[in-house]
Amino acid sequence: MTLWTPTDDGYADLTSHDTFERGAPHNTFARLRREDPLHWTEYKDGQDFWSVTRQADIAEMNKNTAVFSSARGIRMEDQSYEEYLARRTFQETDPPEHTQTRMLLMRAFSRTVMAQYEEEIRALCCDILDAALEKGSFDATKEIARQLPMRMLGRVLGLPEADLPWLVEKGDALIANTDPDFTTHVLDRMETDEFRMMPFNSPAGAELYAYAKDLMAAKEAAGDTEGVLNLIRQPAKDGSVISETEFRNFFCLLVAAGNDTTRYSIAAGIQALCHQPELLGQMREGGDVWETAPDEIIRWATPALYFRRTALTDYQMHGKTIRAGDKVLYWFSSANRDETVFDDPFRVNLHRTPNRHMSFGQGGPHVCLGMWLARLEVRVLFQELAKRLKSIEPAGPHKFLRSNFVGGIKQLPVTVTLA
Amino acid sequence: MNVTWKLPEGGEISAEVANGLTLMEAAVANDVPGVIGECGGCLSCATCHVYVDEGWRDKVGGPGETEDVMLDMVAGERTDASRLSCQIETSEALDGLVLIVPAV
Repeated sequence: MTLWTPTDDGYADLTSHDTFERGAPHNTFARLRREDPLHWTEYKDGQDFWSVTRQADIAEMNKNTAVFSSARGIRMEDQSYEEYLARRTFQETDPPEHTQTRMLLMRAFSRTVMAQYEEEIRALCCDILDAALEKGSFDATKEIARQLPMRMLGRVLGLPEADLPWLVEKGDALIANTDPDFTTHVLDRMETDEFRMMPFNSPAGAELYAYAKDLMAAKEAAGDTEGVLNLIRQPAKDGSVISETEFRNFFCLLVAAGNDTTRYSIAAGIQALCHQPELLGQMREGGDVWETAPDEIIRWATPALYFRRTALTDYQMHGKTIRAGDKVLYWFSSANRDETVFDDPFRVNLHRTPNRHMSFGQGGPHVCLGMWLARLEVRVLFQELAKRLKSIEPAGPHKFLRSNFVGGIKQLPVTVTLA
Repeated sequence: MNVTWKLPEGGEISAEVANGLTLMEAAVANDVPGVIGECGGCLSCATCHVYVDEGWRDKVGGPGETEDVMLDMVAGERTDASRLSCQIETSEALDGLVLIVPAV
């Protein structure tokens, strides 16, 4: 059985959120990789950009931060300098500035520190799975995938348990700011620019701003100096500290990134189990498979469809010239299906090795800070899920998020038979 | 130049590598397990950690300032022999170099 067959005609509009409601347009990406790997993509109001779709090209460009800068914005939409300053996080900086901030945070998200959370994650997974699976038929994104990442981030950041459902909702509204199922303020359908100075141009950004401020005041009052949130407020090596705006932007980034991406990795993994029944048996066998399965599930999911850079100087590629000032999109979603890098890219192979996927933005300085947490959560969740399942089947068609930035299955009806 | 990676489970991988690469790139090109290089050599991930074999430490030298901070975040144990291999360039002067891949 095939997992899912892309239905686009090979000429999909990459700038349209509607396109991605039917899943990423992989026929279009395949054609671009083959015929036009550096593709000038027209976008309304002169916001045109280059689309890069081959894995090898992205790998080459991603580490070249002297030419391709993050400090002009990371989404396809143009941003004024004023908006950029108001909304930026360390995602929108280049080395060496980026490296300075990152060093403050990396300790808290390192592989070794994350590994200490394994038993806590396992206990959470058991609670979540036991509650979901006894329903027999349910929406796996809502009942399983949506639950784990935010609860875990709450633990890592030291947030009150009672606030977590509210944070999940706000995180959704932020990152899925183009899907009417998640926000009433659908970005590309609104006339107002009231929230353009807020993270993700979203009213939820304004609410999270207020929340972060109160949270830190409460922590300070209680003498709580531990945890990631305090870590980022430490002075850097040169004595500089991050501004209040940057701090609150970073908080919004954690809520959004820590919430959605792992969720959609888990959802894509469950979808794969439904459509490639041999995977469950391989998981139940266990052993070596757990060293490679998380990355393959995360390759299959590719929740971050693209990130954008801006050329600082002219750059030649494939007989074309990227001009200084041009926007360049690295389509990780396409790179992860590149047939010159991955055998049978449209099948999930839990033993795939090496697996040079780019879901974490590998190959550049902005490689995902939370990647070890993500891998750990995916591994433990599927270990516990496989243990409990005899079979899992689709109970209706799944639905994708309406977003050309975050790729994810937002509704995944399944029926399970327990082992 | 020739380089040898000694693997934590025993065994080793030796390869002839071009000059001017980094030892992380050389390791990835030769599928050396345990040397990942997630960030492409931008000092952002600490996943290309190696130990420099005793006899080679003077020739290879110690870590730079940023590398030194990043080395605190490696997955295996940090020792005096620890380096991030993305920060070491291949050259004839290092012909015959022996690196040890840390156990994680």
